[in-house]
Amino acid sequence: MRDGRRSRLPVRLLCSAAVRHLAQVPRRNGFRHPRLRPLAAALLVALALGACAPGEDGVVRTSASGPRWFGATSLPPGDVFRFSLGAEPETYDPGLAVGQPDGRVARILFEGLTREDPQTLEPLPGQAYRWELSDQGRTYTFHLRPGIQWSDGRPVTAGDFRWSWLRVLRPETASRYASFLSPVVNAEAFNKGDVKDDRQVGLEAPDDSTFVVHLASPVPYFLYLCQFYTCLPVPRWTIEKYGNRWTLPGTIVTNGAFTLTYWRQNNRFEFAKNPRYWDAASVRLGRMVGYTLDDLNTTFNLYKAGVIDWCPSGYFPSAFIPYMRGYGDYSHGDFQGVYFYSISVTHPPMNNVWVRRALNHAVDRDAIANQLLKGSRRPWGNLVPTGYPGYLNPPGIRFDPGYARQCLAKAGYPGGQGFPKISILINTSEDHRRIAEAIQAMWKRELGIAVAIQNEEWGSYLQTLTSLHYDVARRSWLGDYLDPNTFLACYVTGDGNNRSGWSDSRYDAMIRDAAKELDPARRLAILQQAEALLLSEGPVVPIYHYSTNELIKPYVRGIYHTALDIHPLTRVWIDHDWQKRAAPVAVAPGGPGTETR
Amino acid sequence: MSLLAFIARRVLLIIPTLWVIATLTFFLIHAAPGGPFQAERDIPAAAKEQLMRQYGLDQPLVRQYGRFLANAVRLDFGPSYKYPSRQVREIIFEALPVSAELGGWALLLAVLVGVPIGVIAAVKQNSRADYAAMGLALAGVSVPNFVLGPVLVLGLSLTLYLLPPALWQGPESRILPVLTLSTAYIAYIARLTRGGMLEVLRQDYIRTARAKGLGESVVVAKHALRLGILPVVSYIGPAAARIMMGSIVVESIFSVPGLGRYLVNAAFNRDYTLVLGEVLFYASFLMGLNLVIDIAYTRLDPRVELA
Amino acid sequence: MSGALRAVEPPTLPAPAAAVQTLASSRPESLWADAWKRLRRNRAAVISAAFLAWIVFTAIFAPWLPGMQDPTLQDLKLGAVPPSLAHWFGTDELGRDTFARVVYGGRISLMVGVVATLVSLIVGVSWGAVAGYRGGKTDELMMRFVDILYSLPYIFLVILLLVFFSRSILMLFVALGLVQWLTMARIVRGQVLSLKQQTFVEAARALGAGDAAVIFRHIVPNTLGPVIVYTTLTVPAIILQEAFLSFLGLGVQPPDASWGTLVSDGARVLALFPWLVVFPGLALSLTLFCFNFLGDGLRDALDPQDRRDVL
Repeated sequence: MRDGRRSRLPVRLLCSAAVRHLAQVPRRNGFRHPRLRPLAAALLVALALGACAPGEDGVVRTSASGPRWFGATSLPPGDVFRFSLGAEPETYDPGLAVGQPDGRVARILFEGLTREDPQTLEPLPGQAYRWELSDQGRTYTFHLRPGIQWSDGRPVTAGDFRWSWLRVLRPETASRYASFLSPVVNAEAFNKGDVKDDRQVGLEAPDDSTFVVHLASPVPYFLYLCQFYTCLPVPRWTIEKYGNRWTLPGTIVTNGAFTLTYWRQNNRFEFAKNPRYWDAASVRLGRMVGYTLDDLNTTFNLYKAGVIDWCPSGYFPSAFIPYMRGYGDYSHGDFQGVYFYSISVTHPPMNNVWVRRALNHAVDRDAIANQLLKGSRRPWGNLVPTGYPGYLNPPGIRFDPGYARQCLAKAGYPGGQGFPKISILINTSEDHRRIAEAIQAMWKRELGIAVAIQNEEWGSYLQTLTSLHYDVARRSWLGDYLDPNTFLACYVTGDGNNRSGWSDSRYDAMIRDAAKELDPARRLAILQQAEALLLSEGPVVPIYHYSTNELIKPYVRGIYHTALDIHPLTRVWIDHDWQKRAAPVAVAPGGPGTETR
Repeated sequence: MSLLAFIARRVLLIIPTLWVIATLTFFLIHAAPGGPFQAERDIPAAAKEQLMRQYGLDQPLVRQYGRFLANAVRLDFGPSYKYPSRQVREIIFEALPVSAELGGWALLLAVLVGVPIGVIAAVKQNSRADYAAMGLALAGVSVPNFVLGPVLVLGLSLTLYLLPPALWQGPESRILPVLTLSTAYIAYIARLTRGGMLEVLRQDYIRTARAKGLGESVVVAKHALRLGILPVVSYIGPAAARIMMGSIVVESIFSVPGLGRYLVNAAFNRDYTLVLGEVLFYASFLMGLNLVIDIAYTRLDPRVELA
Repeated sequence: MSGALRAVEPPTLPAPAAAVQTLASSRPESLWADAWKRLRRNRAAVISAAFLAWIVFTAIFAPWLPGMQDPTLQDLKLGAVPPSLAHWFGTDELGRDTFARVVYGGRISLMVGVVATLVSLIVGVSWGAVAGYRGGKTDELMMRFVDILYSLPYIFLVILLLVFFSRSILMLFVALGLVQWLTMARIVRGQVLSLKQQTFVEAARALGAGDAAVIFRHIVPNTLGPVIVYTTLTVPAIILQEAFLSFLGLGVQPPDASWGTLVSDGARVLALFPWLVVFPGLALSLTLFCFNFLGDGLRDALDPQDRRDVL
């Protein structure tokens, strides 16, 4: 930021005083202003301007008719791309990575057998340049690209993939996402320690460039599964040498488009182009800087000031979303995630299905999504989000206060009489609190019941959620792969992500049947029935459909909206002539991932 | 009592205190609901067991306690649970210089501004100047820094583009966080100085000095100030320890990679090792600085003896 | 006291203990009368006291004030609107009237400040008085305990307290008060140490008064000066700390709101809805400001010989 090599912003259209100040941004050698005014004057101006929404100040137009851009639009020095990574990743060891920031870093550093298309996320050839499906969809044979190397010059071999996948499965690795590989023959048993011999697991490397995967039964979305970051290859020799610390800069060895050159916890990651990457010729960025920023307002400010070029979805305060719509920076789209309230069905009155229905039908999703959240989210009455190819959602739950009151009466609490005080569990966050306050008021108004809000910090919240010691709890679920199963499987009896105590043998049977069904249309039809059952009986009060809302500077090219909010950054580039090009950045936003907090 | 004996006695007292703190913290944090290996997305039971075994959390608590104490003596708290690639010690020693720098500048600014305000207020007690000076100082303590910070950012960074809005890169990035952090301390120090000066100005020797015909400014600067700022000196010890251990508010608003954020987040995340390391470090730092301040005290005020 | 710096007493108690002087037990009436006279001469303190009285009055009688709206009444369709005749201070994102929220927030903030201060007062005064009066091993042990708590990071203690006990406003009082009593205990102990040598204490003992009676009937009342001053300064400190906890999301729980929660929520949308931080912020800051001015005035008035700051 201080190297001051950035080019100057051509000042074309400046009207207000605020904009005049903005024009100073390009002289960015450390934000020094030639005429430093007295602090008092500055503060007065600030307060006066504070009264305008960001729509009013800090606007630069590139031409009289072109899109407006938010805040500074001075180019970064050279081919550097700077963005927010969100919270500090816990680990970016691909096999152990958990959260969205973890995965983002892992995907920058490593490349799997396939890589995602930046727009559709469909598998494109990556480290494997082709693959075949045989044995009625149960055997995948991947052929590795000749000449691929790790960043230390060693060849990437099929053995590396086999070792990496087995590492994920080994019980002592304690990988949280080992279940992604469970379709592989004996993978689950090996992961549980029931099978000790790794040769019995359906992973083979007959030679250095051939990797064979045997599945127990066909899984239509297997290629999506093995695109997940858990399945990225890792360098065996560094892990064996450095243990937990192999990921630190200096020791880490990668096979992706970038290497890690610098990391400071709670500050930033710096990545440099990996010259040994097979497709290095098409990598146009020389460097990337990912800042770890956990405060959303700070992220937003840094974006406005032009310190970061990309603010991924969920990383700026949702209150600002409606005001960003007029800017060319803003991109918005659907995202495979649902925000819902979970009901713990283990105790009265929540064990009564009519109570659950009453609560469900008394939530005005439209008011929450369109009024409170100003249309930054979609009202949603289903558990499974939209956009899964071939899947039709059953009718969603609608706001129907009359029916809700009937349900409550049927449950034995006409007009809310005798209904015990229940509470909504949320984890500490202003966004969650506002929604809870709105729902608290709706339930009181429509059903006449008293509701408290129980706000717990993260650790306690998870504990309360897991132990089912709650009435209603805020939750959200984000899709891991492009199939409704990623949502519906959570509510199978005893699943670790169920967390509601709900159990229905009919539902379990449907999910099981679907898994065995080979015909895609019929499989999805079964899943649709399962979702309908879950909505009518179950512990779920859907509220809204996640959307991605991201901010991207006009000179950044190659970031697109994707359904899972995954953004391959390999082909991103900085357009130094962006003002001469009309090409709008085809982008839509990213989503929450970490918004689960 | 000789200085050495004094120091030895104090250090001997610090050790059992640290032990009690370590014990208290250990059992409190382990008793808090939840544990380090929880996540929104369920962790398979097998993986969780494995993690517990790896970190020795499956052993009886007393056994864990013993091992923790033995390691703590060697200043080894093990790896953070939340960031397994890092040792607690590394995290602390990486973040401490940042917090210390931020805190150091803020404290320096507070002294440079607070002491003159306090002196002026004391010399002109109950005058308009007194009210104005103290009013200004008290305004600093009356505005929460999570309001002051964003207001400064909005004005100076996002409207005037004079200073970067956040991050700890380059000298100009220091200005806003230091300013935000120091206001409350300016108020405390001004108030302490005023109190101390008022007391001293009434003393006989000051009257004598005045009677000798020395100018008021000489009296104040040369004679009164030395004793008048004693309360400030004793305040600075604990204040320095606290301020240098980081401020969660300022660090998160300005995204400063300091210690303050770790402490709060570690407690929320039940990162046992990081919590223990930080708390013990904090306590030793605090007690150490107090010792230093007490020694400094004897140099400034000959009336005070080491006891 | 010789002015010896007690080694076992590091952290706050700054003072060359010369500082801790008897606040005169001899002529109490004239002392209080004098103090009152001095206080009245301090214009800033008088104005502050008047302002505080007005704020307290408004807070207490909020529900009965004419034109006051329901602070929990939502209007999602309305959303956040700037100040107008219908809503003097504007509304928040849930469409609630900010004026009503500020007034009701004052109730909560002042209550938190006062109740938590009382908690700290009761615990701190008893602890300090007993330690100082008993002296010796008991004193050593009790003050060690204070030192230990003092060496723990404040925020860590509060988080733990709030984690262990369910999050109610009651718990917030206790958490804030329990952390604040340490300084009070030290001040009172210092006072008691010097008071217990005095003849009137000897006399009371000679007349057969028990320890408890001596401590609470004879000694404690004589420490009132510094205690009152410190109390006046503790109330704003606690209000501010509650605001700080609100920033971390640990403050009072909805639908209740304190000035702290209002201000910390408002600060996050400063650029969009400045009225959400300006009005509660003014209420909070002015109140803190006045408490501090009043506290300083009281100290000047009550304790003319001793300028030792009690912070």
